[in-house]
Amino acid sequence: MFDLFHNLALGFGVVFQFADIKINFLGFSGTIPLPMNIFFCFMGALIGTLIGVLPGVGPVATIAMLLPITFGLPPVGGLIMLAGIYYGAQYGGSTTSILVNLPGEASSVVTTLDGHQMARQGRAGPALAIAAIGSFFAGCVSTVLVAALGLPLTGLALKFGPAEYFSLMVLGLVFAVVLAKGSIVKAIAMILFGLLASMVGSDIETGQSRMAFNIPELSDGISFVVVAMGVFGFAEIIRNLEGGDEETRSIVASKVTGLMPTIPDLKASAGAILRGTVLGSILGILPGGGAVIAAFAAYTFEKKVSKDPSRFGKGAIEGVAAPESANNAAAQTSFIPLLTLGIPPNAVMALMVGAMTIHGIQPGPQVMTKQPDLFWGMISSMWIGNLMLVVINLPMVGLWVRLLRVPYRMMFPAILIFCNIGNYSINNAPFDVAMTALFGVVGYWLIKHDFEPAPMLLGFVLGPLMEENLRRAMLIARGDPSTFVTRPISAGLLAVSLLLLVLAVLPMIRSKREVVFTESET
Amino acid sequence: MSEGVESQGGGRKPSLIKGPREFWGGVALVVLAVFALIACYDLPGMRGFAFGPGTAPRMFAVLLGAFGVIIAAVGVMQEGPGVDPAVVRGAGLALILVLLFAAIDKFAEPLFTSIGYRNGESVAASFVVLVVTVAFARGIARGPLYVTAGVLIFAGTIRTLGLIPASFISTVVAAFATHEVRVVETLIWAAVLTAFCAFLFPYALNLPFNFWPQF
Repeated sequence: MFDLFHNLALGFGVVFQFADIKINFLGFSGTIPLPMNIFFCFMGALIGTLIGVLPGVGPVATIAMLLPITFGLPPVGGLIMLAGIYYGAQYGGSTTSILVNLPGEASSVVTTLDGHQMARQGRAGPALAIAAIGSFFAGCVSTVLVAALGLPLTGLALKFGPAEYFSLMVLGLVFAVVLAKGSIVKAIAMILFGLLASMVGSDIETGQSRMAFNIPELSDGISFVVVAMGVFGFAEIIRNLEGGDEETRSIVASKVTGLMPTIPDLKASAGAILRGTVLGSILGILPGGGAVIAAFAAYTFEKKVSKDPSRFGKGAIEGVAAPESANNAAAQTSFIPLLTLGIPPNAVMALMVGAMTIHGIQPGPQVMTKQPDLFWGMISSMWIGNLMLVVINLPMVGLWVRLLRVPYRMMFPAILIFCNIGNYSINNAPFDVAMTALFGVVGYWLIKHDFEPAPMLLGFVLGPLMEENLRRAMLIARGDPSTFVTRPISAGLLAVSLLLLVLAVLPMIRSKREVVFTESET
Repeated sequence: MSEGVESQGGGRKPSLIKGPREFWGGVALVVLAVFALIACYDLPGMRGFAFGPGTAPRMFAVLLGAFGVIIAAVGVMQEGPGVDPAVVRGAGLALILVLLFAAIDKFAEPLFTSIGYRNGESVAASFVVLVVTVAFARGIARGPLYVTAGVLIFAGTIRTLGLIPASFISTVVAAFATHEVRVVETLIWAAVLTAFCAFLFPYALNLPFNFWPQF
């Protein structure tokens, strides 16, 4: 318990650190101590919300777009800014769900059900406010949880050998498969596609060039930003463009009136926020799309315990509060597998790994012991990020609504040009930009053939790690594949994966699963 | 979303392939897997009990091919949605656009170096991309083509022409991806965006860029 406070104190110490900034302005020159990390966090949350609130730009695309601007910062500042961007993007996604019925990502799909209905009844203000308040509460609770659970889980992580890591990644991928919409076979195929794409470039052990066709730019492999920006960002823009109608994108933009929820509203949603937070915190730790299942589970649970379930889907405030708290709590606790085991549980976390690697940090159990200031600083910055969200968003809802009025014909060229310049600036490589165009086409085709791009991205990120651990495990076991089932932790993880797959394939469970999803898409 | 239309060959044969969208999706995955297998054909495989560089890619490629076959088989047997010809056209043309750009950029290099314009080939490739796009973009294919063209033109011009011309041209081209485009508004908007980017990236974020053409 004492350790927990000590660590949190260290973290906040890092976040509130004052940096001496050289100022040379209007004849005044000298150094002024400024809390730069807080500033980075604020900027991150602001820009993240600004971009995330654009319709059709989800958190993954937002983070992919904004990654380059963190590169110039020192590692701690960069990651803190990234955490701010992350929460901003997440909240921006909820804003579009409520205002224009356009979820930015899978985990805010549920928010559209009651949130958009509230907006249609002119109660967009309370819906947006309760989403922010619920997210903030969930963020506070789960920050403490992350700080408390991080250390014990790191101990567990140190017991992990290559075989266990491999099995854990299999489990993560199975989660991604089970939670993907639609066909399980297709989701597995997408993971394999991602794994295969990640093999392009130099072999980790021998350095031999693989599938690079003597193109020098490919010898380092395909950059993660290229895949994410192409498959999510550009493909989404192309798809939105054929949707055509200008009206469907801006129906309720004019009607945001009263901002604050009333006392009865708060009373009604208090329980929902609490239950959503608990569910979200638990489910978020599981690898693979924790935030999505958390939001769904919280909504379904809330409907179950409600005295009058028929109100749901017609603008019940609990239907906004519960999933919003749940997905934020889950988003937060999904940092646990990332920071302690180095395994990204979902596509957004996968992006974070990419960013950390660029800052020269290898996420994993060593981060906590070798760079404690970074680790605890990042955890405290999550809380600060949540606080910033409330600070920024409660007074600025009106502004976001006005941003949604910008016609799409002006919005998408702006998104494209920011993406292009950002993408080019990473390596000063025109080749990367052209590759992104290719992945945009691929992503568009995938969406149109009902293939989910998210499992592909997860496979792409886990690919090199998976191959490395598979090879190592096989080498240690002298080529005996039974090593994966004779080591207890590994066997347990594989058994859980198998169980999940079987459950997902069973037709009864599957039809139930589809009911949950179709319900949410109407 | 649309009626079951065969994407290749003439006539409808609903009795043969019941779910064309699934079928062609599976076939594409198989093609991709075979392509990957050919690409890692000369990589060494297992050495004793150690994995070689080629082992894992081949393993994943074979699995991908297998799943492609399953998806295609489901497409043959199960009633499903058809392939939207506009999507095939849009994605196909956009893919050709990318390949065309890559080919010109790669193979025209000696020509431009010999006449004294280094990096001229990428500008030439951008120009060809623009011409092809204007010639073929109709209906739904408009979106994929102009967006792809905008991105490719940025890639082709950023080095040679510099940040300001590249941003301006590619923004204007991309804006034509929707039929709602208004020419004057687009030109003004592109100029505003370019000015904003020229301030944001080099100054605010401190990234190195050339603003104007380098000759």
